[in-house]
Amino acid sequence: MSITIYQAKKIITMNPSNPQGTHAAVRDGLILGVGSLSELEGWGEYELDTSFSDHIIVPGFVEAHAHVMAGGMMLLPYMGYFERKLADGSTAPGIKSYAELISALKEAEAKLTDPDEPLVAVGFDPIYFPGQPRLSRHELDQVSSTRPIYLQHASGHLATVNTPMLVSNGVTKEMQVEGLGRQEDGELDGELREPAAMGCCKTGNRIVQGINQTEQALRDFGALACNAGITTCTDLGGASLIAPKLLDRWQNITAEASFPLRIAQYNIPAMPGASAAFDQIADQFVALRKQESEKLRFPGIKFILDGSIQGFSALIDEPGYYSGEDHGQLLTVPEQFADWLRPFHRASINVHMHCNGNLTQQLAIDTVEKIVREDPWLDHRHTITHAQLTTQAQLRKMARLGLCANFFTNHLWYWGDQHYDITVGPERANSLEPCASALREGVSFSIHSDAGVTPLGSLHTMWCAVNRLTPSGRVLGEVEKISPYEALKAVTISGAYQLHLDHEVGSLEAGKKADFAVLQEDPLVVDPMSIRDIKVWGTVLAGTKHQAAG
Amino acid sequence: MIGFTVLGGYLGVGKTTLLNNILRNNLPSAEDGSSKRIALLINDFGDINIDAKLIQSQTDNQINLANGCVCCTLTDGFTNAVETLLEASPKPDHIIVEASGVADVNNLSQYGHSDELKLASIIVVADAETVREKAHDKYVAKTIQRQLRSADLILLNKVDLIDESEVDNLTAWLAELTEGVPVACSVKCHVPMSLIFDLESRGNSVNEEIHAHEHYDSWSFSTPQTATRAALETFMQKLDSHVLRCKGVIVDESGDQLTLQVVGNRKVIERQASDPGPDSLIDGAVGIELVAIGMAGALDTAKLDTMAQDLLNNSDLVAS
Repeated sequence: MSITIYQAKKIITMNPSNPQGTHAAVRDGLILGVGSLSELEGWGEYELDTSFSDHIIVPGFVEAHAHVMAGGMMLLPYMGYFERKLADGSTAPGIKSYAELISALKEAEAKLTDPDEPLVAVGFDPIYFPGQPRLSRHELDQVSSTRPIYLQHASGHLATVNTPMLVSNGVTKEMQVEGLGRQEDGELDGELREPAAMGCCKTGNRIVQGINQTEQALRDFGALACNAGITTCTDLGGASLIAPKLLDRWQNITAEASFPLRIAQYNIPAMPGASAAFDQIADQFVALRKQESEKLRFPGIKFILDGSIQGFSALIDEPGYYSGEDHGQLLTVPEQFADWLRPFHRASINVHMHCNGNLTQQLAIDTVEKIVREDPWLDHRHTITHAQLTTQAQLRKMARLGLCANFFTNHLWYWGDQHYDITVGPERANSLEPCASALREGVSFSIHSDAGVTPLGSLHTMWCAVNRLTPSGRVLGEVEKISPYEALKAVTISGAYQLHLDHEVGSLEAGKKADFAVLQEDPLVVDPMSIRDIKVWGTVLAGTKHQAAG
Repeated sequence: MIGFTVLGGYLGVGKTTLLNNILRNNLPSAEDGSSKRIALLINDFGDINIDAKLIQSQTDNQINLANGCVCCTLTDGFTNAVETLLEASPKPDHIIVEASGVADVNNLSQYGHSDELKLASIIVVADAETVREKAHDKYVAKTIQRQLRSADLILLNKVDLIDESEVDNLTAWLAELTEGVPVACSVKCHVPMSLIFDLESRGNSVNEEIHAHEHYDSWSFSTPQTATRAALETFMQKLDSHVLRCKGVIVDESGDQLTLQVVGNRKVIERQASDPGPDSLIDGAVGIELVAIGMAGALDTAKLDTMAQDLLNNSDLVAS
């Protein structure tokens, strides 16, 4: 039972009763204490590790809303507008024009050896190309007129394909599937909207669907987290409940000593929109929990209740969308949601509810109120995740009900301008992700990336909450900015709290896991605008060092 | 091609009752071959009533009936469920998917254009007592309105629970909201099966079924004469909302067989030159055969007679 004492320039614990120190003593993966060397020496013989003496140690970040898809995306060429860090530490550049897109796809195409293998790429988002003609098969035909190409959009709801992809899948203009985009002359334009149309190009669609279940996707997910200083990460939408093979895969990989991440997997109890026998699923879930291991945990269940704001499919209340057509839709029958929630609440299973629209969120809040009246489990920590348009009245009510929020602060940067100009208009764009209001009203909150929708990176997510800056230079809602300390709290202990893991991770305290994020600079001291630029050395997980790639 | 019907409608409107009626009506005629091999894709088995004697085999997600019908749950998702059905042998004749109460039925119906499927209809059930209220509900108003507008045929159920005058009001309100989607009324979703499934080629069996049903009426027409496609298209376009369902098998001027399929607002003419199939009338003495179904008292048979006569006249004009 050897003891290691890590020496750092500064250790920020996020433990209010012992806020900082210079040394942390670790035994068997657990923290003995944080303080000065002399305060820790009493634990007995130790080895002093000075490799972080120029670094800042903070609790390993807790990402409370991400998906293994972030790892799956690493396995396909990235065509997004913003540059993206890859698992190997390198950076894929952002694609700012169709010309760049074509040349990047050509480059990816050249790497394929089998002439029949489809080229499948991800991350394209037409919202960043306003005023340009919609991307069509003709641009992609310039990449190759023989190899089928499938370009999945960032939203996951659309794809653009080239002519050979249509032809090889037998998709013709005579097909009546509504999501098949058409030119004015009735010919197909290569855009596929929504699953029915996307499924018409099976040879591309299947690759995207299958990639997230590969071992490499899981490994890359771990690597990406490590690169970002994350030691506990949700896979918020796992399928272990309904797919035993996937469970085996997760168990095997998380059991490897070199896998640098604790996975908190939130399973989806049923496919979105489908009802199911939820009491039976709650029982299955209790059984699944018995299969937890050190790095694979099942803290709760996730429900998806609506779509997205930028897709106009989030259900928002009056006065509705600022421009564009309202496709707001619930994925549950309102009267039935209590029946979905009840079996889990009764079995003391934490529930995270995807609500992008505030009307959807109202349903979630009202339903939790009903359930809590029936069955007073007060420490449920049920969480509204995304919660982007949370109103002040909702925050007041959430505080009383013990509901947590998990704000999608990365939206402020990635879609903030679009929300201001297009989707919800100035007032609501300024009060998106209302972190300061949540703090004032006493709602415990975390902030998240929803990776792979946006990249894993807790420092970036903090940066968004602290600065609320958009790419055009707007500050969205000065009054909703929070301090770097509060932002750090949101990506550590408050994230752990809503996963019911705050007694184990999220702060550096005696008896808790020795999970560190090792940073080059102090996020509480640097210019707030440079928080996202702080270099991450890597992590320590249960006392084992994992250096970031690159 | 396998017929594909999307069955939509909000929670509690009677979708499951309708599915139970379908299973009951379709049973048990497995041996004589007249029974359709129907696959139901449903949310859960909880409310489906199946006589235990008819169950041949059962798994968590699938019940196989002795007559070839199959019930599948959508637990693994819609796409997987359909793929499983298409891989089965023998394949079903018709797939009905029960949409969730808030589903976008139009989106779901798009699957009916893929591969081996052929979209037969989008049927949306509405609860006569609550549909108006739900169409203004703060959470689901837009969803309900979208569902009703997307329907080929609305089944206004539980009409026995409201006043007769209110039925007329509701029908008028629905007509305005949906810009004329035909409305069939029902009690406990008791409707003729030929409203949902492909009508028999010859009118007799349809007439038999319809005449046994007090709320429905049918009309049929047959003649050895042939018709032109153009005249048939005119006939089809003139069909308005009193005709809930219509099928025609017609031999055209060049001897090809045309099939007219109408389910409410969904109206299709298909040419079947190469493989006439079991509906073929080419060798028979009959050149035009038409069957239509509507609500008793609403189906305008005189108008249909006139339209059929026009169909002949217009065809003759071309011929001469």
